[in-house]
Amino acid sequence: MLLRLYPRPFRERFAHSMAQTFADLRRERPGRAFTLWIFLETLAGVVRERATHVGRLTMAGNVFRTVKYAALAVGALTVAGIVTVMLLARGTGEDIAGVVAPALLLTTLSVAAAVAAAVMQGRQRKRAGGDPRAD
Amino acid sequence: MTPAVLHILLALSAQDRHGYGIMKQVESDSKGKVTMGPGTLYGSIRRMTDAGLIAESDRRIDPSLDDERRVYYRITALGQQALGAELQRYREVVAVARSLRPKTAGA
Repeated sequence: MLLRLYPRPFRERFAHSMAQTFADLRRERPGRAFTLWIFLETLAGVVRERATHVGRLTMAGNVFRTVKYAALAVGALTVAGIVTVMLLARGTGEDIAGVVAPALLLTTLSVAAAVAAAVMQGRQRKRAGGDPRAD
Repeated sequence: MTPAVLHILLALSAQDRHGYGIMKQVESDSKGKVTMGPGTLYGSIRRMTDAGLIAESDRRIDPSLDDERRVYYRITALGQQALGAELQRYREVVAVARSLRPKTAGA
């Protein structure tokens, strides 16, 4: 039952081996004090693995969040630049298509990157919190 | 390198072992002073396999006496290198301690 408290990736790799080790320990070293120590030691292991797992997820989540906000910032700055160029060129008859077109492309790419990062962040969050056993 | 990692590398340096075998060997190597529980053992095994210090082994010491599904671990070349470097560091620390001992004894 204690093994179910481990994060899923850990459980998938080591649950069988750990169960086998518990069986070996029970067979070769009976005794309440030792069993209690094993229980507490394994519980400490659960806490350590959970903390490591959460740390990893948080780090991955942070990457997506950073990408999302960076892309949004780039998009917003580019839009502000386009508006400024349009305002400055108003009435002068200057051809600004050569500047605006690449800027619009950059804005589109930034928005696409922000959306992709937000989707990835959402998936990450769902994986971490959707299914209590899924992490 | 944590003491647990060092003990596991030492236990695997002689032969491939499964989890409980490592636990018993660590206890034997340390003359009963270090008892490693499953939480520490498998947490260390995860980190060490991720770091490439140890790997799962295909070899079975005696399949007829053992559960076929038991996972054995072996030390890798990187693990041996890390173990050698750590033992060398210990030797150097001991050498320094020995060179200081007469002074501290006289102080």
